Formats: sequence, C-alpha cells, structure tokens
Amino acid sequence: MGENVVGRSVRRPDLIEKVTGAAEYCVDVTMPGMAHAKIVRSDRAHARITGIDVAAALESPGVVAVVTADDIAALYARFGHIISDHWILATGKVRYYGEPVAVVVAETVAAAADAVELVLVSYEDLPAVMDVDAALAGGAPLVHEQSYDATGDESFQNLSHLEDEADDTEAVLSNIAHEVNVGWGDVDAAFAEAAVVVENTVHFPMLYAYAMEPYNAVASYHEGALTVVSTAQHPYMVRDDLARVFSLPLSRVRVTSPYLGGGYGSKSYTKVEPLASVASWVTGRPVKLTLTVEEAIYTTRVDSARIWVKSGFAADGTILAREFDIVMDSGAYADNSPLVMAKSVNRCFGPYRVPHLRARGRSIYTNTSPASSYRGFGAPQGNLAGETNLDQAAERLGISGADIRRRNLVRKGEEILPGKRGIDADIPADLEMVVESLERDRKDVPYYGIGFGCSASDAGAYPISTAQVRVQIDGSVLVLSGSTEMGQGSRSLLAQVAAEELGVDLSVVTVVQSDTSVTPYERTTGASRTTTLVGLALQRACADARSRLRDMAAELFECSPGEVRDLPGAVAGPDGRELDFGAVVRQWFGGSAGEVTGVGLLRRDGATQKMPPFWEVGMVGVAVEIDPETGVVAVDQLVTVADVGFAINPRAVEGQDLGAATQGLGSALHEELVYDGAQLANANVVDYRVPRVKDLPRKIDLMIAERRDGVGPYGAKGAGEGTLNPIGGAVAAAVARAVGKWPDRLPLTPERVWRLMSSD
Amino acid sequence: MTLPPFALRRPVTLDEALRELTEDSVPYCGGTELLLAMRAGLHRPDALVDLKRIPELSGVRVEDGVLVIGATERHADLATHPVIQERLPVFARMERHIGNARVRSQGSIGGNLCFAEPKSDVATVLMALGASVTLAGPEGRRTASVEEFVVGPYYAEKEPDELLVDVRIPLRDGLRGAYVKFQTMERPTVGVAVLADDAAGWYRLGVGAVGEVPLAWSFGSLGEIDPDEVAAWIDPTPDLSGSEEYKRHVTAVYVRRALAKLEQVSA
Ligand SMILES: Cc1cc2nc3c(=O)[nH]c(=O)nc-3n(C[C@H](O)[C@H](O)[C@H](O)COP(=O)(O)OP(=O)(O)OC[C@H]3O[C@@H](n4cnc5c(N)ncnc54)[C@H](O)[C@@H]3O)c2cc1C
Repeated sequence: MGENVVGRSVRRPDLIEKVTGAAEYCVDVTMPGMAHAKIVRSDRAHARITGIDVAAALESPGVVAVVTADDIAALYARFGHIISDHWILATGKVRYYGEPVAVVVAETVAAAADAVELVLVSYEDLPAVMDVDAALAGGAPLVHEQSYDATGDESFQNLSHLEDEADDTEAVLSNIAHEVNVGWGDVDAAFAEAAVVVENTVHFPMLYAYAMEPYNAVASYHEGALTVVSTAQHPYMVRDDLARVFSLPLSRVRVTSPYLGGGYGSKSYTKVEPLASVASWVTGRPVKLTLTVEEAIYTTRVDSARIWVKSGFAADGTILAREFDIVMDSGAYADNSPLVMAKSVNRCFGPYRVPHLRARGRSIYTNTSPASSYRGFGAPQGNLAGETNLDQAAERLGISGADIRRRNLVRKGEEILPGKRGIDADIPADLEMVVESLERDRKDVPYYGIGFGCSASDAGAYPISTAQVRVQIDGSVLVLSGSTEMGQGSRSLLAQVAAEELGVDLSVVTVVQSDTSVTPYERTTGASRTTTLVGLALQRACADARSRLRDMAAELFECSPGEVRDLPGAVAGPDGRELDFGAVVRQWFGGSAGEVTGVGLLRRDGATQKMPPFWEVGMVGVAVEIDPETGVVAVDQLVTVADVGFAINPRAVEGQDLGAATQGLGSALHEELVYDGAQLANANVVDYRVPRVKDLPRKIDLMIAERRDGVGPYGAKGAGEGTLNPIGGAVAAAVARAVGKWPDRLPLTPERVWRLMSSD
Repeated sequence: MTLPPFALRRPVTLDEALRELTEDSVPYCGGTELLLAMRAGLHRPDALVDLKRIPELSGVRVEDGVLVIGATERHADLATHPVIQERLPVFARMERHIGNARVRSQGSIGGNLCFAEPKSDVATVLMALGASVTLAGPEGRRTASVEEFVVGPYYAEKEPDELLVDVRIPLRDGLRGAYVKFQTMERPTVGVAVLADDAAGWYRLGVGAVGEVPLAWSFGSLGEIDPDEVAAWIDPTPDLSGSEEYKRHVTAVYVRRALAKLEQVSA
C-alpha cells in the first residue's frame, strides 16, 4: 500500500544507549536531599502484630525515621485497582512472609539496612493457609477478615466479559478473593451425547516474572504535591492509586517512568511507590527505595493454578461441550488476580467452536506472596489445560493433533465469546504454517516429539488512549505518549507511525513517554496495546497536526484550507507554492519561534467500539528431544506465527515472539517458585532457574502472518503476549509424544520427566 | 543487599599478609563467594586482606614432576595455560567449564578450595588426581591432601590465620582423564572424574557436587568400577535440582558416561 517508513525493521533509537549502559533507568535517578529506605519485612506467614519497637533503630547512626502503619493511619493506607485490599504497611496483622511492616529511612542504604535489624516486631502467630486446599478447607483461617469495596475501575467489567454479573450480594467471608463464571448452552446434555469424553487436571507452576530490574522508586512529597519516579509499567494507574492514598488532586501527583528494565506484567499497577511516598510524607524528604531480587519476588509473583477440564467430542472430533474449573493461588492480596482469573476463564477453551461451555474460576487468598499480572493474563494457565485436553482427545479418537484443531478452529469473523468482536485472524491458516515448519524438520530419532498449540486472547486493551505530536520550527517532531518503554521497542514503532503519517524523516522524530504531568493520558502499557491503540491515537494526532498546518498555510497562502494539499513533511498551495512544516510554523507565528500541537484521542467508538479491540493470536510449535537416562528435555525446534495484521517493525515483532516463547519455555521446563514452610526455598535467580542462551532451541522459525486484518494502523494488531500462551501445552504434548505418557504439570524438570518415564 | 563497610588491606608479601590475618580480618581473592556471603549478611569482617598482589601466591610451574598452581590463579587463566593444557588437559577442560565467564575470570583456585562449596568441580578432580595443598601460617608451612583439606560443606580444615599458598598435583606420564558433569541449574548436580595410568595400573574415580563433600576411590582396573555400586556409596543431598533417588540415578549415569568418554581419550 505504498508505506515508506512502517513495515521496515528500522534500528531502535534506544539501542546503543541501552547496550552501552548509558540509558537512564529509575535506579539511576536521584533527588536533592534524598534519603534511603529499607523495608522491615514479616518473617512469618500469618501473625497478629502485637508491638513494634523502633527505639533501638531510631538511635542507630544515620537513621531519619521508622515508619509504621500507625504513622500513616490518617491516610487512605491501602491500594489495589480492583479490590483495594493491599495495605501499604501491614496493619494489625501480617499475611505473608516478606510483607512490609515498617520502612526505615536513613542517610545511606547501609545505615537503613543496619537499622532494619534493630526494629523489633512482636507477633502472635496465627494458623496459616499456605495453599489453595488449606485455604478452601472448612473452617480455614481467613487471610482477610473483612471484605473491601471494589474501586470502581469500570473498565474491569468491560475487560472481563462480566457485564451481566450481579455484584455486591452480601457474601459470607471466605478465602475466595474473586469468582468468575462463564458459560452457555446445556453442557450436561451435550456430555451425555458425546462419543468420547476426556477429562484431565493440570498444574501450572507458581512463577516469578523475572525482569532484570527489580522494583524501585524515588518519591518526594512536598507542599501538597507528590512527585514519584518509579519502575511503573502504568504510571497513570499508579498516579490514581497515590492520589487516593493522599487525597490529592490528580494534577498534584506526578509519576514518571524512565526506561524499564523489563516488565512482563510484573510491573503493571502499583508496587513500591506507596512505600517510598509515605516515607517521604512522614520525613519531609525525598526517599529512594530499591528492592533486591528476593524482595521483588516477595512483592509480586504469578498466579499458580490447578485446572480441571472435561470435554465431550463427536466421533469425528468435533467439540460438543467443554467444562473448566480453575483454581488459582493468588497469595495474600488480590492485586490484579481477579482480572487474571477473568481472562483465564475467557481464554481457557481456546479459539474453537464450543457450543456448550461451563467455566468457573476462583482466585484464592493464601498466606503467600501476592500474585498479579503476568504476560498472557491467565491464558498460559488456562491454555495448558485446554490444549493438552484436546491433544489427549485426539489420541483417544485416533486423529492427529492438527486434525482435531482443523475440525474445531473458528474461521475469521466467527465469535468465540458471544457479543464480543469476531475473530479478526485466519487461525486455520496460521496452524498450517506451524505444522508445515515443524514437520519439515522433524527428526527421526528416538524420544523425539512435536507439540503445538493455539490460543486467542481477547486483548485486555481497553481503548482509552491519547497522543500528541508537536511540530517544531525546523520541521522536526516530538511524539508524546503516556505509554512506557520497557524493552519492547515502542519508541521505534511510534516514531515510525509519526514519520509515515507526516511524511518526515524518521531521524527527526523523537518520542517522549511516561510522565503523567507531561505526556498525555494512557491507560496502561499492557495487553500488547501500544502499537494498536496508541498507534491509532497517534495517527489521529498526526492528522490533527496536518489539519492545523493546512489551516495556517491557508492564511499564509490567502486561500481556503480546502485548497491546501498535503505533501510529505510539507503543504502545497493552489498556485503550487510549497512550504515545509517548519516554514509554515515560523511564518504563521511571524518569527523564528512557535510550534503546532496535534492531538489524537481514542475511545470505545467506531472501529474500536466492539471489545476486545483485537484478538491476540498465539500459535506455536515445538519439537523436543529427551535424554532418556536423565530426563533432560532439549528443544530442537521452536516455530511461531505472529498473526499481527501488519508488522510495523518486523524485527520488533520477532523479538517479542522469541522473547515470549523463551519466557514460556522457562516455565515449561525450569521455572517454579517453591514454598518450604512459610518461606520460598528459591527466592533468588541462582535457584530460580530462568532460561539462558544455551537453552535456545536449535531451530528457531519466527514467521509473521500479515493479512491487514487488525483495527490498528495499517491493519496492525498487537504482539507480545500471544506467543507465550500456548508454549506450555505445546511442550507438554511434545514430551508426551516423546515418552508415551502425559505429564500433568509444569515445569517438566529433568527429574519429573525421568519419573514420568519410569512410572507405569 | 549492599555490602557493609570494611577496610581493604593490600599486602605485597606473604609474611605481611599473614600478619594481617585475624578472625575479623580475612583473606580475599576474587571475592566471588566472599562478597556474596557479605552481601547476604552471613559474614561481616572488619577488613579484607587482598591476596592478589602477593607474588608467592601466583604462578604455574612444574617442580620435580609435580604441577604447582599458585592459590590466586584464576579459573580462566588455568583453562588456557599452556603447561596445564599440555600436561593435564582434563584439568584445563574442567576449568574451562566452571560457572560462568564472570566467575572464571575472577574466581581463584585457592578461593574455590577454601570456601569448600559442595557444588564444585575443582575439588572433585583434584581429589581424583591425588593433589595436595600447601598452607602457610604463623608457625610455618604444612601440607595436606585435598581430601584432608576439604572436609565438609563450606568447611576447609584451615585456621583463620593460615593462607593457602598453592595446589600440588603429581604428574603421571601417559595419564588419561575424563571429567563430565550433569548440570541443569547454576551449579553442577554431579561431577565425575575418571583417571587412568594404564602403565602403572593406577585408576581413580572422583564423584563430587552431589553430596556434602567430593569422594574419590582407587581401583586396580577400570572394569572394577561398577556405576551402580558407586551410586550406592555416595550420600546425595536432596534439593531443588533433584531428590536423593534421582541424584543417585544420575550419578550412575554419569559414571557410565565418564567411563565411555575416557575410552575416547588416548594417552
Ligand atoms: C555463580 C557461581 C557459579 C559457580 N559455579 C561453579 C562451578 O560450576 N564449579 C566450581 O567448581 N565452582 C563454581 N563456583 C565457585 C567458584 O569457583 C569460586 O567462587 C571461586 O573460585 C572462589 O574464588 P575467589 O577467589 O573468588 O574466592 P573469594 O570469594 O575471594 O574467597 C572465598 C573464601 O576463601 C577464602 N580464601 C580465598 N583465598 C584464600 C587463600 N589463598 N587462603 C586462605 N583463604 C582464602 C576467603 O577468605 C573466603 O572465605 C561458582 C561460583 C559462583 C559465584
């Protein structure tokens, strides 16, 4: 379609500074007069706090203050954007090992660390619920003895397909943080008619979304205004939480996120910002708080899940009905787990025609570290159940894994969630690409198996986006967006869109992001939304700038605006006279100064009316080769299809897919947080085994399917999460085919595979 | 965690260094273990005595048929040292695969033995080779076999005022050796060394990383080594890299693999 700048793998503008270490991350940021905080954390899972003695700590050299719940009782001392249940500092009791109990503020990090040891917290132990079975047992101790009002994030309702859910029926207190039910048809009748019914249970591990940079923030509360620089993926969401804590107008809270050292969902929503902010509020000084990896693991982890699934099929493999029961261990606070669960329920049954469905999901409070968003939002958990169930059914029916999917996959335009946007992708065609690539390089060796899987996620990208472009007197362009750059390459993508729309050279476009007092509103940077939604807002901002420039040029040309034509980086008048953007701005203002701002607003309207704005397809295949003596699984092939509509920057798409697949392989083969009593046995990256370069598959085939079928700019759709979602199920299926037995849990560590092979 | 404050001493002779050592003033070489322990709050010495400027503690040489390696020699240098590559290739190869690039280019052989981390490769191979260490203290020097020196997890038989000076490995003409390790996490799950001096009828097997300390045995022939029997001799430590049963199993597998690899090695 004749685009010039989009569709090319241009080099990302932040490449060199990131590789050389010159790039500024939050941890590099200082504020004048800054003090340092360290956190006193609970050393037990569940206990009443009977006293906190801060005297010795206050006498320790360099200590400025010790902040406890009592000091912040005048504030709204909780956060949580769905259920505001998360106490900034443990109040009355602690709910998990590692929970912040007090903040020590000192002149140096070392002084704060020393004084942490001197804060004496006395506790009275309470019985703890360390897993979902204990939490759901009759008479189980409650993690929360009160219920909390929802914060009224109305988009939660819209994101989660729960519009008709009745709320606020006075519920009996329990450890169920949130329950979701989705379904249609007559499931029991369909099961009764099925030729084959297949039932299985899978366990998805407790994970840590390892990002190289642990959470950190520096905050300054001064004269009724709060300034925070932090590692927030969604600075605007954090701003809203902080404004509520301090009862400040939104305009008096400024949250800035420099480059993020990885997010993967773990940095979405509020984390350490309230701790640094209340410490500043109490001390009157800017306060910096930097967590260790261990503390970061205790701050947010990924929901583990146990999922029971049952599906009924006709003799030819057609799905008649599916039923799911998902139980997630969400830890001590809800955080984003209710949305994770809502999404898991929507996504577990896959992009298939399911005439009768019953899916129930429960998010459970336990006395473990709180779980929240993770790349894929509940899809990796649910998909493992749905896809392995389908493959086991194929085995029982005597058909191939490809055939059972061919029979049931939805076609373009079909709805998988009633009333939602129909599928905006050709998933059957994507499947053929995966299967063809895997089969082409299939090896004929023992203990070799291939597996593949599909997913379609109703992108949790609620369409509220704004963008601005500011055209300068030299024709260069600033793009302003409230989205965050966390490694995904959004700065190149947004610059490419602006350069394309305005017809200017990429080298004169600069993208400025993630400052709530400077860059325009962006709901979140999650759910693979930036390219699609910010891209649309940015296209509108560029059109708005162009329209203003035409109006100004019309005055200069003394013609009507309709007579001014757009040229790349310039306009032309009726007499053929051309003025570049810089000249229009300079001449209109009548000096060598001024600028023109174009504004783009996006909401649920027109093409983005129907939710979700796009479906994020995940389509992957793997081939594994197993060492039968040790159970070690080597990944021989990794095949992915990025069904992105149009790749604005193909290399960035490939990077997202390889990254997502590798992260998925981590949880499929190595990663798992293990609780040993009240504490984690592996809250560090030596014992929590993340993927390494040497684990990379021998063959990597990252394909891109471009059918211009998305609502985004040039037909684009999001990428970033999708490819992770089906990896777990694909690996499980490949291992099952290699060894002849079905695993029921991830990660497939060497010992687990060896035991699977040795079992009878 | 951040490092707690400490004083740094930088002696340039062995005697000077020995005078500096006390319970609270401890030897420091690459710091790959020591600084981690200090960061974790496990250890808080007042002073670190840097050994890297002491010439007596460095260097690789052959003395009367014995390979002498100075305590401060780093893994990366040992892996590529021409004398070691020529006279004891099995040792050079083991050094090349230790930890990661940062650990290899900073960590020393002396620090490795003195820290006595159970999940190690170095002590396993050294025990199999029948190596010994030289220690210097206020009372003079003494020698101990590596078996006598590395006696427990994180426990080397050494006084706080003693320094490890060098490691001594007796060389054998025509020695064949193989070292294989099973590693899925940051550190090895099991490492197996087999050595054969066919002319002398001298055969050794070392198994390490799997239990609290490496173990080594002598045999009259390779045929006497029964992998399943060896697996029964060890005392595996169960942890996240495997249960006791699994570790015993992979030990037998790796003894078999070490023997198979040795067959490929010519004298
Ligand atoms: C991530 C990681 C992975 C690793 N993987 C492996 C592996 O795969 N295989 C393996 O074998 N090892 C492994 N190691 C261990 C590594 O070999 C040792 O950390 C390193 O050799 C220690 O040497 P150093 O000079 O850094 O010791 P330091 O940290 O400086 O000192 C360690 C201890 O020894 C004492 N000390 C040091 N030198 C002397 C001396 N000359 N005399 C007396 N006392 C002394 C110090 O006081 C201290 O207590 C790994 C380590 C890390 C951190």
